[in-house]
Amino acid sequence: MSTVALRWLHRNLFAKPFDTALSLVVIPVLAWAVYAFAHWILVDAHWEVVGGSLKVLMTGIYPADQLWRAWFSVATLCAMFGAGLGLSVRPGRAALAVAAMVAAAIAGTIAAAVGVSASLLTIASAALGVVAWVAVHHSKCDQRVVLAGLLAGVVAIFVVLSPPGFEVWGGLLLSVVLTIAVSILTLPFGILLALGRQSRIASVRVISTAYIETMRSVPLILVVYWIWIIVPLLSPDTSVPSLLRGMAGYALFFAAYVAEYVRSGLQAVPKGQIEAARSLAMNSWTLNVDIVLPQALRVVVPSLVGQVLDIFNGATLVFIIGLTDFLRAGQMILADPQNSGRTYEIYVFLFAVYLAIGGAITYASRRLEAHLARGSR
Amino acid sequence: MVEGEPAGSPERERRIVTTEIAEYHTIPSARRRLLIASKWLLQAAIVIVVAALVIWLGLAVREALARKGIHFSFGYLGNVANFSLSEGLVPSREGIWPVLEPFSPSHSNLQALFAGLWNSLKVALSAIVLCTIFGTLVGIGRLSTNWLVRNLCFGLVEAVRNTPLLIQIVFWYFAVVLRFPPASAASNWFGSLLVSRSGVYLPGLVISESAGFASWGLLAIAAASAVACLVLRGPRRRLILLAVTTAALIATALVGFPLGFDLPVATRFGARGGFALSPEMTALLLAIVVNSSAYVAEIVRGAIEALPKGQWEASASLGLSRSHTLRDIILPQVFRIVLPSLANRYISLTKDTSLGIAIGFPDLFNVYGTVSNQTGRNLEGVVIVMLTYLALSWIISACVNALNARVNGRGAR
Repeated sequence: MSTVALRWLHRNLFAKPFDTALSLVVIPVLAWAVYAFAHWILVDAHWEVVGGSLKVLMTGIYPADQLWRAWFSVATLCAMFGAGLGLSVRPGRAALAVAAMVAAAIAGTIAAAVGVSASLLTIASAALGVVAWVAVHHSKCDQRVVLAGLLAGVVAIFVVLSPPGFEVWGGLLLSVVLTIAVSILTLPFGILLALGRQSRIASVRVISTAYIETMRSVPLILVVYWIWIIVPLLSPDTSVPSLLRGMAGYALFFAAYVAEYVRSGLQAVPKGQIEAARSLAMNSWTLNVDIVLPQALRVVVPSLVGQVLDIFNGATLVFIIGLTDFLRAGQMILADPQNSGRTYEIYVFLFAVYLAIGGAITYASRRLEAHLARGSR
Repeated sequence: MVEGEPAGSPERERRIVTTEIAEYHTIPSARRRLLIASKWLLQAAIVIVVAALVIWLGLAVREALARKGIHFSFGYLGNVANFSLSEGLVPSREGIWPVLEPFSPSHSNLQALFAGLWNSLKVALSAIVLCTIFGTLVGIGRLSTNWLVRNLCFGLVEAVRNTPLLIQIVFWYFAVVLRFPPASAASNWFGSLLVSRSGVYLPGLVISESAGFASWGLLAIAAASAVACLVLRGPRRRLILLAVTTAALIATALVGFPLGFDLPVATRFGARGGFALSPEMTALLLAIVVNSSAYVAEIVRGAIEALPKGQWEASASLGLSRSHTLRDIILPQVFRIVLPSLANRYISLTKDTSLGIAIGFPDLFNVYGTVSNQTGRNLEGVVIVMLTYLALSWIISACVNALNARVNGRGAR
């Protein structure tokens, strides 16, 4: 055993003089950094500030007596996530065990920080997600049915969350719902733009290209801010909530990026497919909807999932239009003088949550890429 | 062109003719004319609809603003700004000479926007240089033979790429830069670098008063031959130019060097002398450099892995060491491949400077916001800012394309 370890050390850390020198510098520094960080997390940090403000971090200023609506959304999101997993990942024993462990860890933390009822609701939501995962996987139902179900889930979340008013949406819930809604909205618009950029009609091509290139060379924050300013000027009689204006800005911006991904997919469809379809006298609509897009979208699914991460990361910019997302909620807590010494606790928590969600999306994107690459061979 | 089929082959000729017949001769001429006419009509209709939509949008916004008493014109740019910015230089005139001077509230709105652009460019250009260097190092680190270094670089890249840039910016500002020691207890690095929460001070370049015309001329010769040495090709020519540069530099030093270092000296509320970076600029620069380095690292790593393995094996069989191989064989080829991806990264980085508004850095977007809040002129402002960002994107891609043409032009595969 020890010889194996020694051989591993020799091969990976002390193979050559340069490697040895690097290791001798890096190991002590790293050991000290890990020790200091662990000591801070376990001993010095005051985590009560996170537990005490978890409601604000998660839902912002959403009214406390209406929180069941937020819980409904969490449960729906879990079910949607599970159904999405059911399409691509087999619920094997190991995968289920990992899911159960993650859920137990989160529920345990919540039980310690907030209370038992919140913890129970978390467990129930996670269970719903697992049920959806297993059910979708075993029922072998059509992908289209599942996709329609996901869409219905989004609509349901909007309908249930909206009665207290869009202004009170906030926290992580706002970031997640905004990301999902924008991801869905960008798809049809982005696909149309991509088709437009490849169109045989010159004017459509020029206009689509101009739109895509303009959007790609201005900052997101400018587009979001400007749409937010301009909508009330266009409709002075009705007041459109900030959230919806913000969503429009994000959708208009990210559609240009979706269009470029989709275009790369369109270029990957063999020309023979289009020629064959034309020789069968298909019109442009049937050709695109039944022949080209299914093949093109299949190629770009991993990039589109990666794009969801970009939208989620971009969702932090809603501060510019006065909304309180996850990051902004954290900053609001720090603005309270009695929490002024808790900067690192809050930021470490925010980083951890962002990293967990971002890492999960990146992992999903890579898994899908591998999955699709295997299927096409 | 179909692969493996020469341009003038009979097979190809026949196919072209067949297509032409199919397109032009089987359709009756009246129907053909109708088809062409309908195509033109469609084109015209689309152009008209889109143009009408854009014009309607513009008119509606203009009218809405007019109802508030704001009429579309760029005249407001000449008005006095009446607000102050924490940093930024503006072009002005001193007699007949154009000079750059710090922005003050008595400058015009246009000059305020210029100060914002100056600040954005300041961050963007420094970040482009720094992230290319650090990104390449981390990208090489990702492929190190040392397990620890490899995984540390991997962890760094993933952590940075999977969290929002905005939280990185506010973290660097509130949790790092504002936690630096106060100015009165600034930490001093080798007497030349001062770090405090009121700013970071680097040694600056100053012009010595006593420098004569001769020393300036000699320095100019040195600079010109150094540039020529980098641009021209041919080992002999380069050697001569290098000798000229060295000789001119030595001569300058003998006559009296016209430039000197100005070291910062700590005072109670900041520092005197040197080159000062404001805390906002420091935080924004740190955040953007770290963030972009992670992306550059992935680009460099991908390019190194995309090179044929034979390159490594061939150099190993020639007895070259790993670092030698990397420096002389791999990296020169990598920089040919990565330039287009780097251009995209540089463009996003320039756009990312607009997030400086979250920590109060007066970049172009921030100043635009202030100006349009004060004057109510969003429409004109957004046109200016959009065109500026478009121009910046074009300039960056033009520069990189020129570089690309140069490195891939001669001697490349």
